[in-house]
Amino acid sequence: MAAQNNIGMDGGDLVVIHGLHKSYGTVEVLHGINLTVKKGEAVVIVGSSGSGKSTCLRCINRLEEPTSGRIIVGGDEITGKNVDLNALRRRIGMVFQSINLYPHKTALGNVTLALRKVVGLSKAEASEKALKYLELVGLGHKADSYPAQLSGGQQQRVGIARAMALEPQVMLFDEPTSALDPELVGEVLNVMVRTKDMGMTMIVVTHEMQFAREVADRVVFMEKGTILAQGTPEEILVSPQNPRIREFVTRTKS
Amino acid sequence: MDQIVRYFFDFPLMADYWPDILRGFLITVEMSVLTVVVGIPLGLLIAIIRLYGIKPLNALIIFYIDFFRSIPQLVLIVLAYFALPYFGLVLDPFTATVCALAVVLSAFAEEIFWAGINAVHKGQWEAGRSTGLSFTQTLAYIILPQVVRISIPPLTNRAIGISKGTTLGSVVAVPELLNVTSSIQSNVANPTALTVGALLFLALFLPFVRFTRWLEQAYAHPRS
Repeated sequence: MAAQNNIGMDGGDLVVIHGLHKSYGTVEVLHGINLTVKKGEAVVIVGSSGSGKSTCLRCINRLEEPTSGRIIVGGDEITGKNVDLNALRRRIGMVFQSINLYPHKTALGNVTLALRKVVGLSKAEASEKALKYLELVGLGHKADSYPAQLSGGQQQRVGIARAMALEPQVMLFDEPTSALDPELVGEVLNVMVRTKDMGMTMIVVTHEMQFAREVADRVVFMEKGTILAQGTPEEILVSPQNPRIREFVTRTKS
Repeated sequence: MDQIVRYFFDFPLMADYWPDILRGFLITVEMSVLTVVVGIPLGLLIAIIRLYGIKPLNALIIFYIDFFRSIPQLVLIVLAYFALPYFGLVLDPFTATVCALAVVLSAFAEEIFWAGINAVHKGQWEAGRSTGLSFTQTLAYIILPQVVRISIPPLTNRAIGISKGTTLGSVVAVPELLNVTSSIQSNVANPTALTVGALLFLALFLPFVRFTRWLEQAYAHPRS
């Protein structure tokens, strides 16, 4: 476990991103992102494709290696040298656009794997906890099903259970409904609302504007690798001041 | 018709030779099993080492794979038996043949495993790592079970193809099945011995093929 040196923990800040730059070769895709997320807060990041939303999110658990800048989660600097990245990642749940369930494992097996190998629970303890979280996402009865036997929406709910079962400090959702049939989006969003109601700190990249309006405590609008504006859903998505955001909001209204 | 029976199916003629044939058969089985048991895990090991991306080591691995996939097995067996002694390594014919075949199989198996590893979606790695599993844990619990599954059919092909190369051991005088049966054929001036050999090769490789089909089932999981 990395040292509890409590950087940037004042005011209940759980995630602090400071001066985050990310380049692929000579192309810089994030130009110095600063973002703070408080404990229990649901922050929704919106913006056009290619604005750097997902890259920013994926830097938080270092699936993408930041080029420079600091990211602190729960008081520990994840971008620090010689950090125990695996121990830190356990505290950061992630849900993927491509879902990424393990196809050779049942729903239960998907959830128990890290509980057993990372947390070190016994088989019985891991199964019990996994079942609890599968039930939380409404899939207790599908514990023995393989991913291929589940609908996309059910798969993504297992994906959420897999991440939540580790009882992380923050959950990252990377366009969790973008790969789903429209009729399956609702069940996943409902589970996400439940996650928020449990007090989970969430950072969500999504194109679901209604979800952003109704669930977000704060909306962050990204554009070309920078944060253009942030504020309440009302400020950003209902009556935006910035003309670029106004244009975006108009276009995404269905 | 009579002639065919007399030439190829004159089993009574074989009576005196059964012990020799059986010994040859067992040597062939032993060589085939050893080739597979050494070659495939070695290939997997090399693929895993390659995955860690250590540059000079990977250059060496690629050279190894390309070299042993290109060189004819017969040449390799001859070299292993006749050339290695000059480097102070004296191998008996049996060991020389098995080593040569296992090395060739490992090179092909590595490429099959490598292709399998690359065929697994990168999101599988990300999912594993995001839950705090280490690189090695992710590899062992998430990636390799999927790789093994998709690699079994091409591996079977290769393993059978290369195991059949045990017959090449006859050039360095390994008393394996083909060597034994073709000597008998010249002794008795009747090719029934080869018929027997052929049947025994079938008896060896058919169960092997069945076994790999079973293995495929064992690793199967429902797919959409």
